[in-house]
Amino acid sequence: MKGKYYIQGMAAISPQHTFEGDLSVQPMVISNGNMLSCVEPDYKAFIPGNSLRRMSRILKMGLTTALRCLQDSGIETPGAIVTGTGKGSLQDTEKFIKEIRDYKETALNPTPFIQSTYNAVNGLIALQQKCTQYNNTFVHRGFSFENALLDSMLLLHEGTANVLAGAFEEITAEHFYIKSRIGQWKSEHISNDTLYKHFSPGTISGEGAAFFILGPSPTTNTYAELAGLKMLYKPSPEKLAASLQTFISHEEIDMVLTGRNADTNYDQYYQVVDQQLSGIPQLPFKHLCGEYDTAGAFALWLGAQLLKTQQLPAQWFPMLQQPPAKLRNILIYNNFFGEQHVFMLLKGI
Amino acid sequence: MEELKQKLKEQIIEALNLQDTRPEDIKDDAPLFGEGLGLDSIDSLELMVLLERSYQIKVEDPREGRKILQSVQSMAEFIKSKQPA
Repeated sequence: MKGKYYIQGMAAISPQHTFEGDLSVQPMVISNGNMLSCVEPDYKAFIPGNSLRRMSRILKMGLTTALRCLQDSGIETPGAIVTGTGKGSLQDTEKFIKEIRDYKETALNPTPFIQSTYNAVNGLIALQQKCTQYNNTFVHRGFSFENALLDSMLLLHEGTANVLAGAFEEITAEHFYIKSRIGQWKSEHISNDTLYKHFSPGTISGEGAAFFILGPSPTTNTYAELAGLKMLYKPSPEKLAASLQTFISHEEIDMVLTGRNADTNYDQYYQVVDQQLSGIPQLPFKHLCGEYDTAGAFALWLGAQLLKTQQLPAQWFPMLQQPPAKLRNILIYNNFFGEQHVFMLLKGI
Repeated sequence: MEELKQKLKEQIIEALNLQDTRPEDIKDDAPLFGEGLGLDSIDSLELMVLLERSYQIKVEDPREGRKILQSVQSMAEFIKSKQPA
């Protein structure tokens, strides 16, 4: 990979207590009913009340995570804002569409329409931070966040001083129901802490927002180096195996963060990783955040956190028998319902 | 008229999600935009929608809208003027 890319600040709102505090003492949040919802902070500490009143949940989550990430990095105005989202604001989209039906295409509220656009979060960040630089949102299902990352890396390569890159996703009851009709979720009701004991078709849904400040050189606050990124669209298991072999050698990896989600429909891909990287500890993360288009952003946040702190919160990973003595390189592998597959390599500093 | 103004205040608070405002905080003739409640241009569109949905009154001319939405008093007077006697 050309160039060097470092995570210099980050923040996440997720179904776990990831926004603030010491991760090692946070208990795992357990949810029943196959739908994980975010643990949300007090937004008033980040967003003026007069702006807050109009924002829907995903906008508050996205903007607050971005602002917390900027705080963490010590950067006020980033050189670019690049994000990814698979669905954007579902709540606003649903409201707007229902109003079209209820009011027969007349007397429509402008707010849900404005906020239903995918780039609304980026616009709010830019307005609040007075950032008039490059601003882009990628909407490519399971590649949304990864394309934002790729664009950020290209910007850094071209000389942008730093980039605010992130992702945000929400789940609503309506969208959960729609996706349950096409079998995305398990038919049996389970809690997230028992996910891997229910090996059956479908998985559990989730949501979250994660933001990162990426820069071309390390600082004292650097979490990790993003040393590799590869995307594959609908590969065969053989193609996936070949790509993994060229992406990284077995010896280089201390641990794999895997998007394994107990869905038998697509487990053959995770079995490729099992075979190819046998003997290397694997940690699944979907029991913490659920499945959604930009879950890769949560994995990147988690991997970078583990590399910086060198601590694995044992209460979050009861499946881990023997943690690695030292974490230097973490491979992230994730796929979104068998279609979009991603490898990311994180290196410790 | 008093009943209409009270109802309007409640509807404004609900439509614009003015969480920390109570109907009694809104004076009849206080400006809704700029000073007073500090509403903005998107709020004015929301209030137009409120008039259309709740009172079946469509404001076609934006210049007219500016006058109508000056205060709760002006909104109530406009609604009254459009209602059959």
